[in-house]
Amino acid sequence: MLRTLAWRAAVALPTLLVVSSLMFMALRLLPVDPAAMSLPPNATNADIAAMRHTMGLDKPLPVQYVIWLDQVLHGNFGQSIHFRRSVAGLVSNALPATIELAGSAMVIAFILGVGGGLLLFALQGRRSELALETATTLAMSLPEFLWGLLFIFVFGVALNWLPFTGRLAPNLPQPSGTGFLLIDSLRAGRLDIFWSALLHLILPASALGIAFAPPIARVLRASLLATWEQDYIRQARLRGVSETRLLLAHALRNAALPSLTMVGVQFGFLFGGSLLIEVIFADPGIGNLMVDAVRNADLPVIQAVGLTYCVVVLVINAVVDALYMVLDPRLRRA
Amino acid sequence: MSLLTVENLTVTARVGQGGVARLAPVLRGVGLALDKGEVLGIVGESGAGKSMLGRAIAGYLPPGFSVAGGRVDFNRRNLLAITAEARRAMLGREIAFIPQEPLSALNPVRTVFSQLGEHYTHLGIPRREHRARAIEALAEVQLPDPESLLRRFPHQLSGGMCQRVLIAMAFASRPRLIVADEPTTALDVSVQARILELMAALQRRAGTAVLFITHDLRLAAGICDRLAVLYAGAVVEEGGAASVLSRPLHPYTRALELANPALSARRGLMVLPDHMPGLAALAEATGCRFAPRCPVRSHGCAEREIPLIGDDRRVACQYPERTLGITPSAPAPPHRAGTGEALLSVEGLGRRFRVGGMFRRHGVTALEDASFTLREGEFLGVVGESGSGKSTLARLIVGLDRPTTGRIILAGADVTKGDAAARQIRLANLQMVFQNPSSALNPRRRVGSIVAQALEAAHRPTVEREAVAAELMRAMGLDPALVSRLPAQLSGGQRQRVNIARALAARPRLLVADEIVSGLDVSIQAQLLALLARLRAGGIALVFISHDLAVVRHLCDRVIVMQQGRIVEQGETERVFASPQADYTRELLAAAPPDIGAPAPTRLLAIPPPAG
Ligand SMILES: Nc1ncnc2c1ncn2[C@@H]1O[C@H](COP(=O)(O)OP(=O)(O)OP(=O)(O)O)[C@@H](O)[C@H]1O
Ligand code: SF4
Ligand SMILES: [Mg+2]
Repeated sequence: MLRTLAWRAAVALPTLLVVSSLMFMALRLLPVDPAAMSLPPNATNADIAAMRHTMGLDKPLPVQYVIWLDQVLHGNFGQSIHFRRSVAGLVSNALPATIELAGSAMVIAFILGVGGGLLLFALQGRRSELALETATTLAMSLPEFLWGLLFIFVFGVALNWLPFTGRLAPNLPQPSGTGFLLIDSLRAGRLDIFWSALLHLILPASALGIAFAPPIARVLRASLLATWEQDYIRQARLRGVSETRLLLAHALRNAALPSLTMVGVQFGFLFGGSLLIEVIFADPGIGNLMVDAVRNADLPVIQAVGLTYCVVVLVINAVVDALYMVLDPRLRRA
Repeated sequence: MSLLTVENLTVTARVGQGGVARLAPVLRGVGLALDKGEVLGIVGESGAGKSMLGRAIAGYLPPGFSVAGGRVDFNRRNLLAITAEARRAMLGREIAFIPQEPLSALNPVRTVFSQLGEHYTHLGIPRREHRARAIEALAEVQLPDPESLLRRFPHQLSGGMCQRVLIAMAFASRPRLIVADEPTTALDVSVQARILELMAALQRRAGTAVLFITHDLRLAAGICDRLAVLYAGAVVEEGGAASVLSRPLHPYTRALELANPALSARRGLMVLPDHMPGLAALAEATGCRFAPRCPVRSHGCAEREIPLIGDDRRVACQYPERTLGITPSAPAPPHRAGTGEALLSVEGLGRRFRVGGMFRRHGVTALEDASFTLREGEFLGVVGESGSGKSTLARLIVGLDRPTTGRIILAGADVTKGDAAARQIRLANLQMVFQNPSSALNPRRRVGSIVAQALEAAHRPTVEREAVAAELMRAMGLDPALVSRLPAQLSGGQRQRVNIARALAARPRLLVADEIVSGLDVSIQAQLLALLARLRAGGIALVFISHDLAVVRHLCDRVIVMQQGRIVEQGETERVFASPQADYTRELLAAAPPDIGAPAPTRLLAIPPPAG
């Protein structure tokens, strides 16, 4: 198991290198000049050239990349051109909000997906299966940002049940600490902040989660149907094991295995989908940071956020691999 | 009052394409009684309805099957009329099942202990006693180191070990009835014998009644008190095991017995034509269902069906007195000492595999220092338990794999290297037939085109191809009308024969056959054996790999005995079987089910008699 994880890590490094270099090249090929953009509009051409020299933009591309890489490896992602702050600081301030959002959405997608899969399986052949089937098709056919807009309109504006902008009520202070509001508020003993943060999470996280649950549910149902035909299910039934127990204690874990790959892929997409949701719900995460950076051609920030997305997807893959081994003893070495 | 009585049980299956669904009787008016502590064997070939009987007793029929009539009374309760709740409470507690495929009958993601524990919970045993109970139970089924076994997962156990765990589970509640459906079919011969002994010992001690379902009459003979022979969904003969075997009254029972080659001597075989009717044919059938295959059918057989009659010995046949007159239809194949020229010689052949991940690789020796010579027209048997290297040897001979050491000489040429020249020589001289015919046949090609494949490669004209295909089909005992079918539309035995026909179309001098009769019914096996014996007249040589010693004795002139990748003994078949030299050969022979009527070998297990 450790060996597989070490292998994963060994593969992750070249992946990151390739992704970062591709991103670096692509951004440098854009017809924008970060040097000019970082100077006031009345700067002379000489000023701009001097700035280009200071920023190292006059060197050949591969050299620029190596310099950037060297700095990144030392934890230095450079200065944001637009915000005039360290990129590392910007990203690490914004990341917790995104992780909190995507994490809650994953929990919701997982619960809805597994619950829906079990329900679809349990209802097979009945009329209610059709209703559920229709519901999942519907959930899947709307993209996450439309769900977001719909939720804002229905639960935020029309019914006025839940807040839909930012992470906290405006009158509450942001507790210091990790940046994860749910954690920091509890540590500070501020249940009011915790509650407010939770309420603010419900709509964006549901919008994100609901769009990604149906594929999980369908794969789970399909693999439950296949697992149900296995010998060990029949044999357990002949030992008097109840149908509920057969499903939950015998079939589910075996059926989970093929679904797990799907869950991993879905979670990768879900993390990417958080970008639009953050914009719609004015959630100050790395999605919004990315949008600002793109709008201002803030290359160092774009690069750092892009790299962050890549790292997160790799981490999700590694977690899925580890889960595989936890769930399937055949993959562990004796 | 018997423990289990089955009365007039009829189970039907919905068959039919298109709009007209018909009901095919999978079981027809089955009546049986099983007393406390008795072992009743249910014998018959595949499709006879044996497993359906077990499933009807359990109350779980496959979708599309239903009970059309009759009663199943267990311990004074009608099993067909109890609630699902009551059934669940009874299953695993009063009635236990031992499955056919032990490796797939345990949940792969749960430990042995968690599955035993779940069963103990079902039995109402308090959790804190589970561990001690489990260790005791595993020791009782003779599993070494039960403590560490509890933490293991099924994939870490062999088939025999899994079956012991399942037996421990089945006996945990001291059930009144155990239904064992082919419990040893998936296991090696030597393991099979030990598992049967174990079951018998536990059964005697607990006084459990056993419904022992098997296709193997010889196996049933050894362990059953009574036998019921099933054909096409109906019991055709029933009675005490010894009496049924020594004096069969139904022609089918007699044919089953005579279809089996004997372990102790070569003998002629009874070869029944055709096969048992399938579901669709059952829906149409009338009269005696066995009539189309019966060697002594006579006036009125096809029109009238005779019910099972008699008291202690029951039979469903109009002319039972003719049964004992049935004699083998195919004579014993003659023995031939190989005097021809050497066709294949293998010298010091070895094959090692590297296994393991990137690190910690290690070698596995699948075959070591194998040497033998096969002469023209000779039949060579290769026996040994699973994993002994039989298939590796076959793969090396036919060139699917390269040896790490040694030489292979075929028709005077060295083909060890497996280069283009060697391929040419192999192509001209040898053909292979493998165990699983369905995967060997292209599912999208018609049978005719499969059989004529070799001629196609040789660019022979279509007319000639068709003629040769039809000729070969007839020689294989296949209806030439089958040429337009797809492999999926054939039975297992037919598929295997198509497979052999395909190999023969290339006119090989040597045929390499790996387990081609295993998994087939005895009557189909007898057909194939007769076919192979006929081929011998044509002068073909055969390397015949099998785990069935009786079959090898019947067919082969010489035999090789393999153990853990080495040849431990080789020689003329009669000599090796009559006076085995290697200890391992003796063990193999002792483990094989003895011939019907032969005294059972005495091997007693150290299981104490019941206390009190
Ligand atoms: N590709 C392989 N890699 C590693 N080990 C192998 C490989 N093929 C065979 N072996 C090993 O070689 C030994 C002999 O295998 P082989 O399949 O030839 O046995 P067999 O007698 O034909 O068994 P069976 O009756 O089950 O088919 C076994 O221990 C097997 O695990
Ligand atoms: S009834 Fe006739 S056909 Fe049927 S088994 Fe008896 S003799 Fe054969
Ligand atoms: Mg083999």
